[in-house]
Amino acid sequence: MSNRTRLVAVTLVCLLCIPFSLAAITAEDIIRTMDGMQTFETSYSNGSIKTTDRFGVKESTFKAWSQGSSDSLIEFTSTAERGQKILRTKGSLYLFYPDAEELIRLQGAALRQSMLGSDISYEDMTEEKNTLDDYTVKLDGSELVNGRDCHVLTLTAKTRQVAYPIQKIWVDKETYLVWKASYSTAQGRLLKEMQVLATIVVEGRTLPKESRIEDKMKRDSATIMALDTLEVNIPLDRKIFTLENLTW
Amino acid sequence: MTTKLPALAFRNIFRNLRRSSLSAIAIAVSAMAIMALLALLECMEADMQTNLTSYYTGEVRIRHESFEKYERYNPLHLSLEVDAVLPLASSVEGVEAATSRINFPANLYLNGKNNGALGVGVDFATEVAFIDFPSLLTEGRIPQEGKNELLIGAILAHELRLNINDKVTVLTSTALRGSNAMTFEIVGIASFPVGGLSSKTLYIPLDRAQYLLRMPGQTQEILLQVAEGFKEQEVAQEVKSLLATSLGLETETKAWKDLNMMYSLLSMAKLIYYVMAGVFFILGSTVIINTTMMVIYERMREIGTLGALGMQGKELTRLFLLEGSFISMAGSTMGTLIGLIIIAVLGKVGLNFTEAMSGVDMEISSILYPQVNWWIALFVWFYAILIATLSTLIPSRRASKIQIVEALRYV
Repeated sequence: MSNRTRLVAVTLVCLLCIPFSLAAITAEDIIRTMDGMQTFETSYSNGSIKTTDRFGVKESTFKAWSQGSSDSLIEFTSTAERGQKILRTKGSLYLFYPDAEELIRLQGAALRQSMLGSDISYEDMTEEKNTLDDYTVKLDGSELVNGRDCHVLTLTAKTRQVAYPIQKIWVDKETYLVWKASYSTAQGRLLKEMQVLATIVVEGRTLPKESRIEDKMKRDSATIMALDTLEVNIPLDRKIFTLENLTW
Repeated sequence: MTTKLPALAFRNIFRNLRRSSLSAIAIAVSAMAIMALLALLECMEADMQTNLTSYYTGEVRIRHESFEKYERYNPLHLSLEVDAVLPLASSVEGVEAATSRINFPANLYLNGKNNGALGVGVDFATEVAFIDFPSLLTEGRIPQEGKNELLIGAILAHELRLNINDKVTVLTSTALRGSNAMTFEIVGIASFPVGGLSSKTLYIPLDRAQYLLRMPGQTQEILLQVAEGFKEQEVAQEVKSLLATSLGLETETKAWKDLNMMYSLLSMAKLIYYVMAGVFFILGSTVIINTTMMVIYERMREIGTLGALGMQGKELTRLFLLEGSFISMAGSTMGTLIGLIIIAVLGKVGLNFTEAMSGVDMEISSILYPQVNWWIALFVWFYAILIATLSTLIPSRRASKIQIVEALRYV
């Protein structure tokens, strides 16, 4: 083979490889896109948390506001908890109770406490959307969930500061919606399971409308979190995510 | 010869006074120890009864029938309607007083930290028959109904550096399985006889507890005091039946003795201690057995002479038995008297277990005041004599079986 022919062959091979390298999406890319799909400049929603346990069914309603990936405010509107609020800002979580004269700051293990007796913890409800800061990810393959082709990823915690040392998630290849997730300890003991029951499309993004969460540490308990409305990228006063404003 | 036996036995005691004294002291020490132990047990039992019926369960406790089954989940929604249950329960013959209480796990939020405590919602007006709050106050006053005021245990207040007029936020789970927090002002600090209460309890008015816990008009339990001459179990049964027939309400209504495992264990422990007392006396009596045996061997010549003079085996047994019983009587009397004096002194000074019981979750007061119980004194005195005397039977019987010729050979 002449030098000229060899050069042409190498060039052709290189050119053929370009589309393959472009198509090979990494686990990090999936997570980045997934987080991006769940994050809005601002959002407002209202919905309900319905918990079923050995004592029956309990329903709480809420209104929620968020800004970026780390600020969120939840206000409960159901009779039993009316006026109670949860504020999450970067690195801090505060509880406001109408009859308490001071704000309660939740730290450490307290963040993992059940919120209103449900299967959702305070941390779950207000989690920041910056997964790659806390986890290393590995792409395990593909699986069908609810008839959707999904990437299967395993997330392993980089630090001890996170609630779930191991997460296994099923991310929709097309919409990047997490259809299913299981959360475990470092030793592999299953802590929680989540699955999306219904979705909502907002500004071209598919988001969970109804999710079922099961705390595997509780017997016969499950929580369904549903959103009634979701508005995104709406004008919000930045003050609503401040401590000063929490008591309005 | 028989009629002179007691005099002979009495005289023999003084033949070796040191040896006799040693035997008597052994019995005395045993009697004294048992006296003190039984007095302490009696005192603990009485103290536990007072504490349980005052601070914990009343003499009869009424709860929702399923509460106990789910108790570890703090099922405050399994409650009782105060206005329906309390008047009905109070109307039962033999019920002297009734009150409502709500116990709930609470967190005191201070300087960014949650401090575990036990909250109790009480009706301070009806609690008079159960807890004498004014006498327990070391500072301040009793919280008032309708106000966000609380009374805190002295040790808890000290540990958290809280004082009168300080404000604390109490965080807890509600009957609706949500969470709630309220800020209260500390108006009273109380020192309870039970260390556990002083170190972890805070009392708030019942109406504020109902509001905090989302239990309007409801209570977790209703406690009853029973009048003199009535049996708690019978009253409990009657209340339970009345609630079932009148309100169609199935409840867990029990007498305090049936509710408190520790009290039953203590009663059982008392029986065990009586058996142990017997063992102690027998151990103490080994000194008597030993000395009596020594006496027999040392006094072989005398036994032989007495036999030669016509004393029968039975008489010899009786002689040594009498010797033993005289020594036992002296030892037992001495031990019982010293025991009585010690108990009388401790009854005034008190036995302070505060250090030893810190961290121990028992319904017994940290300072105990044992009281002289004459029946126990009489029992121990008689018991000591009986066991010590019986223990001399072995060497006494040995003496009766000695052959005269063999005894005289010891010359």
